[in-house]
Amino acid sequence: MSNVIRASHLTLSYNNGEKEIIKDANFTIKKGEFVFITGPSGSGKSTLLKSLYGALKPSGGNLMVGGQNLANIAPKKLQELRTHLGIIFQDYKLVNEWTVAKNVVLPLMIAGYSRDVQQTQAQRLLHHVKLAEHAERYPLELSGGEQQRVGVARALSKNPVVILADEPTGNLDEYSSNVIWDLMENACQQLDTTVLVVTHKIPTIFSLPYRHFIIESKGVYEVH
Amino acid sequence: MKFIKNHLMFILPLMVILLGIEFYLVFERTTQTYEKHLTEGYTMLVVSKKPIKLTHLQKLNPHITKAKEVKRESIVKKVGEGLSSSNSKEIVSALPYFYDIGLDAYLHTQELEKIKLDLEKDNNIKRVETFGSTYNSSYKLFSLVKFILKIFIFFMSIVSLFLIVKQMEIWKYTHKERMQIMEIFGAPMMLRAGVLFRVALTDAIFATLFVGAMLYYVKFYWAPQSGIDVIMHNKERLFATEDMAILFTSSLVIVILAVYWVVSSNKRDVE
Repeated sequence: MSNVIRASHLTLSYNNGEKEIIKDANFTIKKGEFVFITGPSGSGKSTLLKSLYGALKPSGGNLMVGGQNLANIAPKKLQELRTHLGIIFQDYKLVNEWTVAKNVVLPLMIAGYSRDVQQTQAQRLLHHVKLAEHAERYPLELSGGEQQRVGVARALSKNPVVILADEPTGNLDEYSSNVIWDLMENACQQLDTTVLVVTHKIPTIFSLPYRHFIIESKGVYEVH
Repeated sequence: MKFIKNHLMFILPLMVILLGIEFYLVFERTTQTYEKHLTEGYTMLVVSKKPIKLTHLQKLNPHITKAKEVKRESIVKKVGEGLSSSNSKEIVSALPYFYDIGLDAYLHTQELEKIKLDLEKDNNIKRVETFGSTYNSSYKLFSLVKFILKIFIFFMSIVSLFLIVKQMEIWKYTHKERMQIMEIFGAPMMLRAGVLFRVALTDAIFATLFVGAMLYYVKFYWAPQSGIDVIMHNKERLFATEDMAILFTSSLVIVILAVYWVVSSNKRDVE
């Protein structure tokens, strides 16, 4: 299996290198793998995830995602790379002025798909996340769990190469969390998508084989 | 109320710029006619030993477009009443040739002086006389008014542009979250800025229509009843149909520039 993500001597920092978060990290993630990244609060889990979608440039080393080195990627290439990623946030990051259906098809809209394709895909995905009847409602009319399901549907809408999830169940109750884990397991299994999840705690109900990395003292270590 | 205020903060400065552009267009149209009158009213008389053709004068200076010969017989007729025809013929044959010179444009006094010098270089030309005492002072006054107007429009446009950009930054802030989400998912700048374009374009259309309506009213309702001679006589030059296209294009360009400026001013602001 090919490497989808590869970090070599990766260093991440804020304030022009003054505040170092991750130092000299080395790891690879292959296509179709499900990966958990855990660590204490403030250890740099979200920072690592940010760097994976290009919101934070590595201050040292290399970070390859989908064949692109994020350490020196051109803005146009980064834009293009992001269209192949599905990103899920703890705070959902939905556009509140848009309907649920429109939020779901945002990646398709960016890719320039026709309205017909967008509509069909929205119906299919919302049915998949069991929100078909909410297509024309607005995010703020939904519960937290439902909003996160919209976020998952959006992340899946363009069959991404990698799904990056930042504490996807951080704000949800147990029932809603289980629904989200179930959806992500399905995506990994059925679409062979690489899923990388940053979380405080690995869910006990998780049934798929997975890899586990822990961030500690600025290092990224695999737990066997 | 806040909604109206937000839009007026964009529409009003844009209207100021558009009115400035229209003011300039009207002034240009009016002055073009005035310049033509001044050019025609200016007289340059060339006195030559031999007959001269226009092409020859044009070789001396390309600004010359016309050379109308003043009939020597008519001069003698005016000054020599009571003379016999043989004497008159003698006087006519002794007189030099006179040409009334026409120029291609409304020229600066220094250029007029140069034309005079160019003509006097020719050995056949005995003298070049100019008549137009009011020409120089009119020209200077005219240039001054035009210059002040341009400066005024320029500064007014700069201030208005700043206000437009400021308002657009407020809109950008309002839609910041949406634009950031779109950026995370790889939306190009123009797509992210789509919401700003839509709002700004709608306001630009309104601003153009308001200015158009104002100018239409001025031309067809206010000007004919204004009682001001110069406005009543130049009514037709006030607002031309094609100005609407110029105004709309201008507002479109301003909107595109302002959106581009605001959006590109903070490219990597995804947190």
